[in-house]
Amino acid sequence: MAIYEVFLKKDGRDEFRHAGALDAANDELAFVMARESYARRAEGDRLWLVERSNVLVADAEFVAPNADKPHRHHDGAAVAARRKSIREQADIADDSESQ
Amino acid sequence: MPSVMSRTWESLEEFEAFLDDGGIVEVDDAMPDEYRQAVFAFIEMHANSELMGGLTERDWIPKTPGLRHKMSVLAKTQDEIGHGHLLYMVAADMGVKTRTEMLEDLFAGRSRFHNVFHYQAKTWGDQVAIAFLVDAAALASQQAVFKNCSYGPYRRILKRIISEEGFHMRLGEDRMMRIAQGTEKQRALFQDSLDRWFWPALQLFGPDSKPNDVLLKWHIKSERNEVLRSRWVQKFVPMLHSYGFTIPAPDLRYDEEAKQWDVGPIDWEPLKATLAQGGPDSARRIGEALDNWQRTAWVRSALESAPESGPEKTGNPSPVPA
Repeated sequence: MAIYEVFLKKDGRDEFRHAGALDAANDELAFVMARESYARRAEGDRLWLVERSNVLVADAEFVAPNADKPHRHHDGAAVAARRKSIREQADIADDSESQ
Repeated sequence: MPSVMSRTWESLEEFEAFLDDGGIVEVDDAMPDEYRQAVFAFIEMHANSELMGGLTERDWIPKTPGLRHKMSVLAKTQDEIGHGHLLYMVAADMGVKTRTEMLEDLFAGRSRFHNVFHYQAKTWGDQVAIAFLVDAAALASQQAVFKNCSYGPYRRILKRIISEEGFHMRLGEDRMMRIAQGTEKQRALFQDSLDRWFWPALQLFGPDSKPNDVLLKWHIKSERNEVLRSRWVQKFVPMLHSYGFTIPAPDLRYDEEAKQWDVGPIDWEPLKATLAQGGPDSARRIGEALDNWQRTAWVRSALESAPESGPEKTGNPSPVPA
């Protein structure tokens, strides 16, 4: 027996997604099991199986350094503040015109 | 159990009906060769442009003023080179050219990349203009592809690229705002850059789409070039005016009836020159990219002789979290 990870993709725009896992005696039976367990109601029409022993898992500590890189983001706050102030000034101008 | 799934179509007409119906093509489908070639050429040019853009960005890492800006240039360089990697993978998977063939064609001047990377970025003002005007134009084009792209692998990769290009555009406007709020000298620096970059950025969208453009017919592009270009003009002309800069277009006027800005006639000769590798900075850019490729040959040869992972590495004992 081997454990397989199951990936399904709906036709169209979606990517393959991890659906779950199963255990089976061989590849052929694993496909049948996957179809009957995970795709009984057309949850996808493309199916990948990967034996769990072939999945490489990164340590959380290895991934962690990318969690703290604020310079890779930009919230645009300064620009948003400028736009807001322009809008407010325009509103004040509108009000004084209508009076 | 077949390891490769493949859909086939009887004729080009049947394939086009599938696309018109919103069908999404996957890499292992038996797509018509015309479609494969056209989509491949489009992705290859996008990949080349990301790489050439990333190399320009890299040139500015040491010259960028201030630590904050320098860190953002580092992040942006990594993003652009990363986009190149993702796109070369998608393109190579189509089986037309290998990644190495694409790179060799690029460095020999045999394939195309975006017009804007055929000009020299001389000042920090140029970098600001590129991040603000050019990245916005590139992002608008990419969004129009993402919206309705019939080639699944490209569309999924664009999702990630677009989110990172959004970061570049916000960065661009932030830099522009800071320079606009600076001294007269800083404002003059940016005005000079705007004078040189406005037209190349606008030309990035290309001339009006031809009626028989297969990229439109096959749902790769979802908008005509002139529509995207006009939308960019409507956004950037008033924005640049609001920051107190002038647009280098002598015939610029506001059409009261159509309620939109018109930049006047567009000279397409500079765009044609860049497509034939005859832009002002084409030769130097391609030469430097080739030089870079040759100087890094030792890295590729070292990777080729790296030992393969042994069974103790690949047989991962840890369970996959559910």
